[in-house]
Amino acid sequence: MSRERAVIHLNVADFAVSVERVVDRSLCRWPVVVAPPAAARSVVYDMSDEAYEDGVRKNMPLRQAQRLCRRARILPPRPDLYRRAMHALVAEARGYSPRLEHGAEDGHLFLDLTGTYRLHGAAPDVGWRLRKQVRARLGIDPIWSLAGNKLVAKVASRLVKPTGEYIVGGGEESSFLAPLSVLLLPGLAEQEVCRLQHFNIDRIGQLAALSRGQLLSVFGCRGEVLFQLSRGVDNDEVRAEGERSPAIEREWVFADDVCDQRLLAGVVAGLAVRLGMELRAARLVTRRLVLQICYSDGIRVVRQACRKSGTADDFLLRRLAEQALERACRRRTRVRSCRLLCDRLQHQSPQLRLFADPSEPSERRGRLVQALDGVRRRFGVDAVRFGSQPSLA
Amino acid sequence: MVPLRVRSWYSLLRGTSSPASLCRRARRFGYRRLALTDRNTLAGLWPFLRACEREEVSPLIGAELTDGTDRGQVVVALVKDDQGYRNLCRLITRVKAGEGLDLATDPALSAGSVLLTGDPERLAGLHDAGIDVAADLGNRPTETGSRLRRRARELGVVAVATPDSDLGGEDERPVRDVLQAIGSGTILGRHQAPAAAPLEAPQSYRQRFAVWPEVLSATEALAERCSFTGPRFGVVMPPWHGDGTVSGAQELRAQAYCGACRRYGDDLSEAVVERLEYELKIICQMGFASYFLVVRDIVRSPAEEAAERRRICGRGSGAASLVAYCLGITNVCPIRYNLYFERFLNPGRSDPPDIDVDFAWDERDALLERVFTRYGSHAAMVCNHVCFQPRLAIRETARAWGLPAGEIARLTKRLPWFYRHDQDDLEEQLSGLPTLRDQDFSGPWPDIIRLANRLIGLPRYLSVHPGGVVITPQPVSDYVPVERAAKGVPIIQWEKDGAEQAGLVKIDLLGNRSLGVIRDAVAALRANGTTLVEDNWQPEDDEATRAAIGRGETMGCFYIESPAMRLLQRKAGSGDFEQVVIQSSIIRPAANEFVREYVRRLHGGTWQPLHPALEAVLDETFGLMVYQEDVSRVAVALAGFSHAEADGLRKILSKKDRRRRLLDYHRRFYDGCRRRGLDETDIERIWAMMMSFDGYSFCKPHSASYARVSFQAAWLKTHAPAEFMAAVISNQGGYYSTFAYVSEAKRLGLQVDPPDVSLSGYHWTGRERRIRVGLQTVRDLSRETADGIVAARRVMPFSGMADFLERVRPADDEISSLIDGGAVDSLAPGANRSVLHWQAAACSGLRSAAPGRLFAPAPAAAPPLPPPAAVEQLRREYRALGFLCHCHPLSLVNGVAARGLVKIDALARCVGRTIEVAGWLLTGKMVATKAGETMEFLTFEDETGLVETTFFPQTYERCAHLLAAQRPYRLRGLVESDYGAVSLTVDRVEPLRR
Repeated sequence: MSRERAVIHLNVADFAVSVERVVDRSLCRWPVVVAPPAAARSVVYDMSDEAYEDGVRKNMPLRQAQRLCRRARILPPRPDLYRRAMHALVAEARGYSPRLEHGAEDGHLFLDLTGTYRLHGAAPDVGWRLRKQVRARLGIDPIWSLAGNKLVAKVASRLVKPTGEYIVGGGEESSFLAPLSVLLLPGLAEQEVCRLQHFNIDRIGQLAALSRGQLLSVFGCRGEVLFQLSRGVDNDEVRAEGERSPAIEREWVFADDVCDQRLLAGVVAGLAVRLGMELRAARLVTRRLVLQICYSDGIRVVRQACRKSGTADDFLLRRLAEQALERACRRRTRVRSCRLLCDRLQHQSPQLRLFADPSEPSERRGRLVQALDGVRRRFGVDAVRFGSQPSLA
Repeated sequence: MVPLRVRSWYSLLRGTSSPASLCRRARRFGYRRLALTDRNTLAGLWPFLRACEREEVSPLIGAELTDGTDRGQVVVALVKDDQGYRNLCRLITRVKAGEGLDLATDPALSAGSVLLTGDPERLAGLHDAGIDVAADLGNRPTETGSRLRRRARELGVVAVATPDSDLGGEDERPVRDVLQAIGSGTILGRHQAPAAAPLEAPQSYRQRFAVWPEVLSATEALAERCSFTGPRFGVVMPPWHGDGTVSGAQELRAQAYCGACRRYGDDLSEAVVERLEYELKIICQMGFASYFLVVRDIVRSPAEEAAERRRICGRGSGAASLVAYCLGITNVCPIRYNLYFERFLNPGRSDPPDIDVDFAWDERDALLERVFTRYGSHAAMVCNHVCFQPRLAIRETARAWGLPAGEIARLTKRLPWFYRHDQDDLEEQLSGLPTLRDQDFSGPWPDIIRLANRLIGLPRYLSVHPGGVVITPQPVSDYVPVERAAKGVPIIQWEKDGAEQAGLVKIDLLGNRSLGVIRDAVAALRANGTTLVEDNWQPEDDEATRAAIGRGETMGCFYIESPAMRLLQRKAGSGDFEQVVIQSSIIRPAANEFVREYVRRLHGGTWQPLHPALEAVLDETFGLMVYQEDVSRVAVALAGFSHAEADGLRKILSKKDRRRRLLDYHRRFYDGCRRRGLDETDIERIWAMMMSFDGYSFCKPHSASYARVSFQAAWLKTHAPAEFMAAVISNQGGYYSTFAYVSEAKRLGLQVDPPDVSLSGYHWTGRERRIRVGLQTVRDLSRETADGIVAARRVMPFSGMADFLERVRPADDEISSLIDGGAVDSLAPGANRSVLHWQAAACSGLRSAAPGRLFAPAPAAAPPLPPPAAVEQLRREYRALGFLCHCHPLSLVNGVAARGLVKIDALARCVGRTIEVAGWLLTGKMVATKAGETMEFLTFEDETGLVETTFFPQTYERCAHLLAAQRPYRLRGLVESDYGAVSLTVDRVEPLRR
């Protein structure tokens, strides 16, 4: 007997603001904008619904946001706090299903409850319970929606923002989507939206009325995706943590965007050092560093640098990061943030090398890195830094 | 010590100082001589020579030469004599042409120069080739320098010290960093600029080179050998080569009389003969006969085009010459309109005048091509030194700072387009601009603006002068280095002032859109069956045309279509040719009060001459100085200036650096007037009127010549509005947008038919009372595809949408705009535009799925899609065309139908009342009041008419940031009338939501 799929999408609207309001209840009385306040060119990181109503948007210059919403309380972003809150949110949900997929610190998670009826009861009950539990323990009121797949659950939660819940029964996907705007469908490219406007198709139902052949004829291979989307068909599984390829990442957001290449290189080196510490703590090595640069105009560039053999050595990681930076920083625009990720992880091998390899760190350097780790554990990561590497504390 | 290697800002994006400031610095340091050695250019030669003269520093002429590129190995050439100068020009020309710089294999090219090099091998090579060479040790003793010095000793060659400087001082280093970032296309923190040195005091070099004491004396000795202080060509006329049987003067006389008979008939009047003889005498006496003949040869249509008359319009003072008129170079009779020949040429004039001729804009490139084919290396165009202006300086500096393009554009787009910097503090000036009232000047902007301020005035690149051509007896590169402009034409490295100072006589061959308009309108008129004999065409005498001009209905008419001109015509109420000539000259930036006075006097107001001595001089212009030559005539009559002196004063008024040079004229004018007994108040009043010619102004021959074209345009608008408006929009480049001309066409009662792939040509067409939108107007449609549509249609009419898509194969954005603009509606009668979009997308999908197939399979039928809502369809039509064919966008704006709003055609009945009106902003002109406050005159329209509005400083300050062209506004203001011309003085403005 096939079991009916049940996927809950839990979403904390304006996650950073919600977390800040938990920490300081008095903020509930005011519109809140999260952005580095001291910087001249800072942009909005997150905002409350009231500020959104006044026209404030993410990545908008803070000064413009302040003009639009003069009453807003401006708070500096605290990514560590949001990361901890996200972990707490995930921890609340983890008890209901191992199939749990979540973002970094964005307040979104999918929970696949298929086959958990005997353990936890009906899926809607789990939704209610989870919401109550999160409200009680974390003080945050999340939106939740329940549907047969991630696509429909996500569309449903977009409908109830900023608070509420939505349950789409099995087999009701098409009728649920039909009257909704096509703009609610996730993953539509700008060009596809434009083409749909040309065809005067603005409801998902109109799109669903088109045959697969018709959609393929005008959208090419993307026609199949639109065909499935318009009918609420989504076979994408909720991927548990173990099913995703392991990676470690760190991000740095500049309060003021920067054009100083040396500063940028210093920050990237600092991120590499942090990744190195985490790798060594987990006795892992990496074979690839991926650097994502986010420019001031919102354009993101991703470049990578690889090695044949894995490493967790700070000096080599820094060199890889510099290579990736050299490849990524070609545009004539200031940089707003950079994210460094290492993947293709392997466990450290205890096997010593028979012959010395000049490209590999020497034993002596290994001891130096160990000593540095000791200092950093005791006095903080930035206690010992490369020259020109700024403190990221 | 003599600084032998100094680069100025003419070493583009490298040097930071002007030749003038380098000369000042050199003088301050006590240098008696200074060399200017810019990289691969002599562009700064004339500013340098002028500055040297002013600072009493003796100039050394030279240049750095590189191997093909700007970053190759460098040799410095210092000119010793005339031959060296010629060779240097040739060498730079070769470098700029990308030819190698193998000096050793062609030592003759180095004759007359001494070369400096810092490379020991090259030093030996050049020395072995017998070239006069010296070792360049740079600005301090180094290890490399030591090796070079040893090698020089071995060869028996002198070694010299050079500043090798790019900066005028240490404080210019940040400017240099930005220039380098701009030049290398990167941002400040990322670019590692090579070291740059400033020009330092002689004692610095003395101290450094104390270890090699012979070097400084060798430097002095080398400088002594370079005695060349600038070229002296005299007047360089274009050469005329006849068949050798007659001289230029004889040929000119014969051609002039032949032309006179063509213009006036075989029986020439005494006045014509007398004037011709007078002019011929002066022309031949001053050696200008060949110049006239060369211009005549250029202007004359080649044999293959003889059937089609080439439309020209003489501009500038040359239009005052009867000889030019008879040769067909100009188009107004100087006798009929009393044009003053001496303004063009007189025996006392020392500088050569130039003849300027306008051609239809789209014929000019072919004409220039023929000139270059005919004269080869003896012809080149004059260049423009394009300097950083505030907008460019801010944009480039901000880009070097890494600011996103959108953020930069938000500021620069709101700088008025004509904005010029004339104050020291750019930051203060910008923050005071009402249009930038809500601009965020935080963050790095203060730094950017401060640095941009220092960039203003630096040359950025060389561009082509709009029309100046020099033709020389020897190859042009014997006089001045020649390079290729981006568009491929050869240009000299001097701009027009430099060319003039060098004595090169230029011919201005300019493009004029209105000549294209008249050509196309006349051709359309003929094609539509109307006969127009142009030889007898006297539009100035046509009553209907004069009446239309008197009512200011001249939108689209060359030279008289601006809002200020139309208002003046309405106030004057007279469409006489003579008045139009005056009106087109009197509207100048600083002459508002004279315009008011002119209108008053024209309507019979009493007036006294400025001085009894001027009664006869300015009688024709109601006692007001209107034309450029009036300045000279007044200076002669009142201050006793000679004709040459007075002409000098007139010329200086139009120069960029006039302020300092005017001081001397000011003193002489005052002294002259006092000697003749004028009192101080009168002198001041007259001088102030003269200063209203500051910036730009026109001479009467120029205005008369242009007024003739204005009348032709006005005649066509009056008698063939459809053909005329179609030609105006097709030729583009008028004062107004296509949107405004379409509205004007509708007001003229013309029906505007949408574009149609089955009927429209590339250009707009007009016939009877209808105009058809041309494919040129459809957004995103390339010229190639538009021509493809017309060509495919000629082979066989399109049978339907599928046939059109298959044969034309437009790109996705092109077909999208064609559908939205309504251009393919006729191919699928009954189908809505949603379906058309589907068909286009399906067809494009099939083509991309099977790119190699000769015949694409027919797409399946489109599903039944709902048509777009009417407003949405119009919105897309506006986006595709920039206007709406059948209605005014203002009629779609919320709130316009509200009660209490007055239509623009009803304003004349509301004079003296404060009313509210809805208007679509077309264009504006920002001006400064006497107190330095900013205000703006803006033109708005609705479906019934146009209204000129005034935003006085207080209102402007309050709402300038809200104003943007092509948007609807609700305006409140006082309706005023001045001699029948109605305008609105706005006190409140509110944008309307579209």
